[in-house]
Amino acid sequence: MKVTVCIGSSCHLKGSRQVVESLQKLISDNRLEDKVMLSGTFCMQNCQAGVCVSVDDKVHSVSPETVEDFFRREILAKA
Amino acid sequence: MNNLCIDIGYQSLNHVGEQLCGDHIDIVEADENSTVVVLADGLGSGVKASILSTLTSKIISTMMAAGLSIEDCVETIAATLPVCSVRQVAYSTFTIIHIINNEEADIIQYDNPQVIMLRNGENYDYPKTEMILGDKKIYRSRVQLQEDDIFVAMSDGCIHAGVGLTLNFGWERKEIIGFLETFAHVGFTAKTLATMLADECNKLYGFEPGDDTTVCAIRVRRREPMNMLFGPPSNPDDANRMMALFFAKQGKHIISGGTTSSIAAKYLGKPLRPSLNFFDPEIPPTAELEGVDLVTEGVITVNKVVSYAKDHLGENKNYEKWSVARDGASLISRMLFEEATDINFFVGRAVNPAHQNPDLPINFHIKMNLVEELSACLKKMGKRIKVIYF
Repeated sequence: MKVTVCIGSSCHLKGSRQVVESLQKLISDNRLEDKVMLSGTFCMQNCQAGVCVSVDDKVHSVSPETVEDFFRREILAKA
Repeated sequence: MNNLCIDIGYQSLNHVGEQLCGDHIDIVEADENSTVVVLADGLGSGVKASILSTLTSKIISTMMAAGLSIEDCVETIAATLPVCSVRQVAYSTFTIIHIINNEEADIIQYDNPQVIMLRNGENYDYPKTEMILGDKKIYRSRVQLQEDDIFVAMSDGCIHAGVGLTLNFGWERKEIIGFLETFAHVGFTAKTLATMLADECNKLYGFEPGDDTTVCAIRVRRREPMNMLFGPPSNPDDANRMMALFFAKQGKHIISGGTTSSIAAKYLGKPLRPSLNFFDPEIPPTAELEGVDLVTEGVITVNKVVSYAKDHLGENKNYEKWSVARDGASLISRMLFEEATDINFFVGRAVNPAHQNPDLPINFHIKMNLVEELSACLKKMGKRIKVIYF
């Protein structure tokens, strides 16, 4: 599974660093390093919905507050 | 015409309790390759000294740059300077370093500590001839420049640093030379060398300088071109033309901006690989792209670079951070402030619709201002700047 977090200007201001750090932690806590490939990308042209996170090409809108929910729903459940 | 250029940097400490510095440095570019640098130290401290040294340095630098002789300059100063009511003299010492065609230095010294010159990292005793102008004994030297030559001019506040406090006789010339020789090989910029020397004086003074202290460093170095791409072109059809011109340039290449780097990656036919390392929580991560020396995010990173540039020109407090850190802004700062001498900016004027959101502290005008502010700062650092808009 490929998870890509936007680290462009807009998403950065909306908290992509916190999202990346939470995801890194959640992935290692749940021992998913072998199954999930976490990477970054510059602007995904969808800044209004930032922080943009794509899971296998489907784009989601995540915030530092919702990242844990998002992880359980979209990553943990499907991995 | 050779491939050399000079890097000038200076730093002053004010006499404790004074808001003005009694030393003054004036730099005038006579033409593209010739520069006159004057360091003047006015009698006393505070306002009076500041007026004396400002007048002296301004008169000399302007006249020398216009091609007038040292005799004319000294005569003009003697006739112009106001006479101090307490001491009944009009007095300001000066050091002139006139760089001619980036090939030769003409050094003229009157009563300031002798200019220290380092060649290949070691003290170099350049020949001096004595001349008497009016009642003034002036030393003149001519030196052919070589790459990595360093000249350090200073006011007497430096050699008096720590008198009776930490040192019996102040900071002696040979000790200062030893201090400079330690750092000569590192390749610090002139501004950094001057800051380090002034900081050391401040320490010796116990952070209460007993005299105005000024250090001016001049470093002879090879020209180093650098190119920076910032923002996509306003007309998308210009993208290929912009990339072709950018990549055709000699020297290193920096790209700032997510969309911009995607365009470059497409042009080069290479994958763009953003990293997830947040070396500085405020600055978005950099990316890797084959054929480009550095790829960073745009506005946030460049905004930080501008703030580092402003600080570098003034107090130089953030130097310790950006000179070693690995975030995008620090990397750009090192490349532009330290490495480069000639910088070409390729600026795209496309409006990023995502940035026109009133919730975000970035917009098109801020972006354009950033380029202008940055190039103004870099010009003050003595860089040659060209900006091309698309």
